[in-house]
Amino acid sequence: MSTERAFAAAGAALLAAAASAAQEIPPLPPPGIDLPHVVLVSVGGEIATGCETPLELAGCESARETFAPETWTRDLPDLGLVARVATEDLRAFSRADGSAAPEHWHGLAERLRQLAGDSAVDGVVVTHGADGLADTAFFLNLVLPTRTPVVLVAAQRPWSAVSGDGPLNLYDAVRVAADPAAAGKGVVVVANQEVHAARDARRTSAYRMDGFGSVDLGLIGVADPDIVRFFTEPTRRHTHRSEFELAALPEALPAVEIVAAVPDAPGRLIDASVAAGAKGLVVDGAGGLSGGQLEAVRRAHDQGIVVVATSATRGGRVPETSALSESGIIPGDNLTPGKARTLLRLALTKTSDPVEIRRIFGEY
Amino acid sequence: MSRIQAAAVAALLLPAATEAQELPVVKLFTTGGTIQSLGKDRLKLAEYREGRIDGATIVEAVPEASRLARIEVEAISAVSSTRMGAEQGLPLARQLMTELERPEVAGAVVTHGTTTLEETAYFLHLTVRTTKPVVVIGSMRPWTAVSRDGPLNFLGAVRTVLTPEAAGKGVLVLLNDTIHSARFVTKRHTYHIETFVSPDVGPLGFADADRVVLYRSPVTRHTADTEFDLDGIEELPQVDVVYGYQEASRAPIDALVKEGAKGIILADGSPAYRNAVLEAQAAGVVVVQGSRKGSGRVVLSDRTAARSEITADNLHPQKARILLRLALTRTTDARELQRIFNEY
Repeated sequence: MSTERAFAAAGAALLAAAASAAQEIPPLPPPGIDLPHVVLVSVGGEIATGCETPLELAGCESARETFAPETWTRDLPDLGLVARVATEDLRAFSRADGSAAPEHWHGLAERLRQLAGDSAVDGVVVTHGADGLADTAFFLNLVLPTRTPVVLVAAQRPWSAVSGDGPLNLYDAVRVAADPAAAGKGVVVVANQEVHAARDARRTSAYRMDGFGSVDLGLIGVADPDIVRFFTEPTRRHTHRSEFELAALPEALPAVEIVAAVPDAPGRLIDASVAAGAKGLVVDGAGGLSGGQLEAVRRAHDQGIVVVATSATRGGRVPETSALSESGIIPGDNLTPGKARTLLRLALTKTSDPVEIRRIFGEY
Repeated sequence: MSRIQAAAVAALLLPAATEAQELPVVKLFTTGGTIQSLGKDRLKLAEYREGRIDGATIVEAVPEASRLARIEVEAISAVSSTRMGAEQGLPLARQLMTELERPEVAGAVVTHGTTTLEETAYFLHLTVRTTKPVVVIGSMRPWTAVSRDGPLNFLGAVRTVLTPEAAGKGVLVLLNDTIHSARFVTKRHTYHIETFVSPDVGPLGFADADRVVLYRSPVTRHTADTEFDLDGIEELPQVDVVYGYQEASRAPIDALVKEGAKGIILADGSPAYRNAVLEAQAAGVVVVQGSRKGSGRVVLSDRTAARSEITADNLHPQKARILLRLALTRTTDARELQRIFNEY
């Protein structure tokens, strides 16, 4: 009985402490408190968007407003409990949907390289539209030469939505960026209390809460209510172990087009891509290429165009079969066509040797 | 198979002009289980009590494995996995450590029944001090079945042992071409081929037809980095699991305390447990709060802290039991035990 009473008293004391702590939470930590320094960069996205009514869940039907990043630190003072948060507004780099525009990827990466390279910065969070997030994250994962945590975060619902996921995603992203365990694991994606590796993260739902996943593999960590916890780390090359140098990249990356491989497809889309200047092609299919496509690939190969195959099954690698080897097509591992395209564009800045490109697809 | 395909497969399986004695050694430890079991006929997929084959039969059935490595077979036991425990696990862990110290040994494969495979695999993950690959395999279909999975699982395991990237990743579990970490893997179906999964976290890689690929490395502590030392340990403290459900009574907890259990894993709970747990703790029994849900961590809360309950992270109750047994060989301090559950 006495044990039980002692337990009850301890519990009550803890609850009281928690309650008083909750009341005394300052909106921002007083100066001098030694919290990690996180820079919160806004590229926009649903997470930076307000609609007129809270039931506009899948994007604004009414007038929309994208707001400055200071709105987050004002609406979400809890961020101050886990980090000293500075904000930076890079919405100028985004398209209408709040995803970084590919023509601004280089500029975004360059600014993130500066921030992550600043010894005063412990972590960087980038908000982004959910649509293009996985592709931007993979590009950054390949070109940012840093061990500093870089976290991409999005929301499936606008900031103004009832039961919006934005606030918790943002809070979790800052916690992950501030966590020393996140260092050296490459660019990560935080959503729905999960931490995913940029290479494998995919959009898995257009608007539901489980918006991101790593198909075939899984999350590498969780942002749980009590702690951030990592279970695994990616072993493919990334960030500080990448051979792609941001400074050495040309203004425009080599053109690579994606073509769907379907049984009766004509070869002319491949021919047209090559005629339009493509230096590489990604063929995405669940079976093989059509006869017409195989002929077009042969013509492309004659012109030195590199062709990579991805699997439209969206699970599993493209295995290196003898048929594939004979056709000279390079297997795209288990990458999505969009990510295979990004990797091929970067690879083509260094080489067009199929042996080298095969190595790159096996290592990244 | 086309001639080019055959040549490709031969190139894959036959390292250029290597003499058999120069091949690395892969140890095959057999413990029993479905992979070694025989059914009455080839359509008996879930019924197989007609005896067992030994390790040599597995090796003979997959000659391709012997072109990659010299397979040395050692029988530990020949039982179903429900009969496995520390009695087999302790000698197995010790023999693994002894054999893996031989420079010519590249790694080891262990056969096991599937029902408790994850428990033995996690035990080895926590105790075998090595960076060499140890791959635990089983099969979902008996050795006699049509479309049996055993032979390919065995070949995949040997190929995985010989993959440089597999070193230092702890004990691995391989069935159905899929490579899991012993820390996260669990059996999710009673008999399908696609049964072993790592909830939330996913597999580490795949033993695909063309190559073995690994995409992930576990960051929890294991094998070479373990603090658990089997030297001088002949048996492990008794730890049992108590299952929570509506209206569950405290009787199992009381009975375990009376029987002398040193630890109890709660798989969820029941209001009736509260006083039973307090009394168990007063009697020196360590109580760990686990979950029967199959995925997700038990979150550390003020409430569990106030109750001096340790939380099991995302370990399934049967694995939390393995970790607690080993942890209790070192400490009974709640703070230390929680550290151990946070790190392994």
